[in-house]
This record gives sequence, structure tokens and C-alpha cells, in this order.
Amino acid sequence: MKKTLFLTSAIAVILLGAIPAEAQTNTSAEGVSSANQALLARIEKLEAELIALRTSVQQSAQTASAAKETAQNAAKTVRTVQKLAKAGAAGAYSGAPSDAKWHLAGYADVGFVGGDMPGQDSFVTGKFNPGFHFQYKDLLIFESELEFSTTSDGATTTELEYSQFDIPINDYVTLVAGKYLSPIGQFQERLHPSWINRIQGAPAGFGHDGVQPTSDTGVQLRGTVPVGKTRLTYTVALGNGPQTTFEGGVKLEGVGNDDNSNKSLGGRLGFFALPYLELGGSYLTGKVSGYAPPVGHEEAPVTIAADVPVGSFAQDNARYTLWGMDAAYTKGALAARFEYLNSHRAAFFSPTADAPAGIFLPRLGMKAWYGQASYRMSNVGSSDFIHNLEPVVRYGEFRITGHDVLREENAQNRFNVGLNYWLAPTIVTKAGLEWRDFKVAGVPSETLYQFQIAYGF
Amino acid sequence: MKTMKNNRFWIGSTLVITMLVFAPLAVAGQDSASSKAKKADPMQVVRGAKAWKNNCGRCHNLRSPKELTDEEWDVSVTHMRIRANLLPLEADDIKAFLKASN
Repeated sequence: MKKTLFLTSAIAVILLGAIPAEAQTNTSAEGVSSANQALLARIEKLEAELIALRTSVQQSAQTASAAKETAQNAAKTVRTVQKLAKAGAAGAYSGAPSDAKWHLAGYADVGFVGGDMPGQDSFVTGKFNPGFHFQYKDLLIFESELEFSTTSDGATTTELEYSQFDIPINDYVTLVAGKYLSPIGQFQERLHPSWINRIQGAPAGFGHDGVQPTSDTGVQLRGTVPVGKTRLTYTVALGNGPQTTFEGGVKLEGVGNDDNSNKSLGGRLGFFALPYLELGGSYLTGKVSGYAPPVGHEEAPVTIAADVPVGSFAQDNARYTLWGMDAAYTKGALAARFEYLNSHRAAFFSPTADAPAGIFLPRLGMKAWYGQASYRMSNVGSSDFIHNLEPVVRYGEFRITGHDVLREENAQNRFNVGLNYWLAPTIVTKAGLEWRDFKVAGVPSETLYQFQIAYGF
Repeated sequence: MKTMKNNRFWIGSTLVITMLVFAPLAVAGQDSASSKAKKADPMQVVRGAKAWKNNCGRCHNLRSPKELTDEEWDVSVTHMRIRANLLPLEADDIKAFLKASN
């Protein structure tokens, strides 16, 4: 009985459990189909997300790999730089610089010049003067400067300003050989570069065709000798010397050969009376011969008409002598300078192909002087603009006797006033007025307006 | 012929006078320079600054020490030693100052 009851109960329970399941299956057949589709869609969506995620992970891995490679390269570069810096520092501190060293220097300028004479208003290209210094240990230094400029007809001119070897012999003597700037006076050797010169041009008589020699070719001995608390500076020069020009004047530029085998001897002695006051004296002597025309230009020199009997003066050559003195006071913001030069060439007969007995050239005398003062307003007020200003004034005279053409072209009183503005210690803008009062009847005076920017590098 | 003789006289005279005047100075100069160069001098930069101001500013504005590298200052100051007739020790002081300041 109990067995029957148990079996009956079990069957009932099974039936009771099966009836609802069967009923549910039957009632939701359509719902199952839509759920499957939703499930499939979700699965597809998940698969798509998985693919996207996988792609992203791969890209991240590639990026990470590239970043790692970049970092490795950077680290390698840093190690290389550190190694080079260490080697450089070791070299620098070991006191082992190169045996051969060089330095590029020089200066350049451009400007504008206007005036009260017709056709005087022009932009001027100015000059470009690169300078080269090559030094080998402490044995010698070779230095040279070129000058490039543009002529009024557009041509470019190139000149070798100087080209010299400097060989220090000891503390007090240096041997200079080659083409060098004239050591006569101060202007040509020290002050003529446009970033140093406080006014746009040279003083009258101190530029080309003046009494101031520009350069010479030969040898110099120069240096400094201490004298108590001060010192004496000297330059002794032996060069090819002056020559006679086509116009019958005296050429005072370094030439490549000596036309008369007579060397000029000259130089300058300088003395510091005070640390800021330098006094100097210069001297030059040599002989000039008659004008030697270049090959293909066998014209006679410009005749200086004079009825002088042949034989009454020297034939073929004449003595040329120059002397001068200079002073420079440079203390603080004030710089005052003075120079005087006086030269003469004796009268002589300059022989030519047409006149073997010679064309008479009278005694030629030239003298020039200038005084200049400039004041940098670095202690005036508190404005930087004012501090960079520098007013300047210069007056000079140039006189010539014994050559009418040269005298008409060059003899004058020259007065300059100007105002400079320093953009940097080696960059200056200049604005100035120049009055030229020619000392020959009939030659009109001139007024020039000058602007210039100059850079020393 | 006379010109050539005269020329030789000038050249010879100049060389002889130069040797007589400067030979003793040359020996003295080498001794002083070499002995002083061996000693490190902490005041060199100070002296250099003063020499830089007094000598370089005589003709032109003072360049900033930062304009050139050490090696360029070596060459530039050697060039100016010749041009401005500076004593070698003075030039060394100026170099030391410029290199310490660039």
C-alpha cells in the first residue's frame, strides 16, 4: 500500500512539474525566436566590439613598441651627447686648444649722401671689408683685409687693404712682413674702419690722395717697452715707399714692387703721458722717381708747366719727407683727438719717352691737420635712448702747394658735426653735416648731408 | 748705382740698430714671460678687466665678451696685441678676463 502510494505520489509530482513546463513551451514559441535573434544580435555586437578591442590593443602595442624604440634612440643620443660633452670638457680643461685657430672679423657700412650741388643725392653701398686672422700656436699670425665696394657706374672694386705676417720675436719686438696699413699717425692704422670712425668719412687729407700714407709693402719691427709706470710704443718700417703719380703727385699706397729700388724708412713713436693720454710722433723718408706708366699706357704725366732750365734740379728722382704728430685723450665718455701731418717732395725732372730730359715737377708741399671730439652720453639722465647718443664735432684743414690741379680738387677747410646712435657696442648709425670750404678761387663750397649705418664684426 | 748703395746703407743701418737695441730686451723679455706664465695668478682676471677697459676702449667701443668663443678671443686678442702694441702679459690678462666672462 505504501509502495503504491509512493509510486502514485512520484508520478503525480512528475506530472505536476511537467505540465507547467509544457504549457510554457507551448505558450512562448514565438517569443523564443525573437529572443534568439536579439541574443544573436547581441553576440554579433559583442564580436564586433571584441574585434575593435583587439585592433585597438594591437595598435596600442605597436605604439608602445614605437615609443619604446624612440625612447631607446633618445637614450642612445643622450649617452652620445654626454660622451661628447665629457670629451669636450676634458679637452677644454686640459688646456689643449687647437694648434691652428682662426677668426673672421671686419666691418661693413651703407649710407646716404646728399648735398647742395647737382647730382649729389645718392644712396651709397658703402664698403664691405672682411678681415681674416689665422694663428698658428704662438708662432705667428697671418692677417688680411679685403675691401669690396661699388663704383658710380656699377662696377665692383676689390682691394687688398693689408696682408701681413706677424711674428712675435719676444715680449717687446714683433716682426711684421707684407702689405701693412701705414703706421704713420693714428687715423689710418687704428681709426679708419667705419664702425670706429665717429664721422662718415676721413678728415681732409687723411684719406686717399691725401698727405696720410694709406699702406706700404715691406717689413716692420714694432712693440712696446715699459718705461717706469708708463710705456713707449714704437714702429720702425722699411717699405717700397712712395711713387710719382700720373698727375705728378705722390702715391702713398702699398705697391707690389719698388720702381726705384730705394726703400722708404719711417715709423712712429708713441708715449703715454697718462694712462688716458697718448702722444705720438711720426716720420717717413724715401725717394721718388719719375712716373712709370703701366704697360700699354705710355702717356706722359700731366705736365706742370714751368720754364725751368734742364739741369737746375735733380734728374730722375727726388727726396720725399713726411713728419707728423698726434695726440689722443680718451677718458670715460669723452674722446678728443688731434693729428698733424706735413710732407714735401723736392723739385725734380721726371723723364718720359717724349721728354728724356724730363718734365719739371716743382716742389710739392702737403700738410693737413684735424681735431675731433666726441662724447658718449652714457651718464646723462636715466633714459637708455639718451645713453646711446654720441654727439661729435671735427674740424680740419688740408693745404697743397706746388700742384694746381691737386690743390683745386683737394685743398680745403672741412667742418663736421654729427650725432651718432649706438644700437650695440659695434653697431652705429650716424647722421651728420659736412661743410667743405675749398681754398681756391672759383671753386664753390659744398654742404653735404650724410647718413650711415656701420657694423663691426 | 749710388741709389743702390744708399739703399743698402739704410737697410743695413736699420737692421744693425734694431739688433743692438732689442737683443738685450729680447733675452730679458723671454725670461720674464716664461717664469711668470708658469704661475697661476688669481688676480689675472681682475688685471685683464682693467687692461681691457684701458686699452681696447682707447680706439673703439668695448665688445661684449660674449661675442666670441674662447678660441676666437685667442686669435682676436693676438691680432690686437700687434695692432695696439700691447705687452704679451697684458694680452694674456685680457684673454683670461674675456674667457672668464663669455
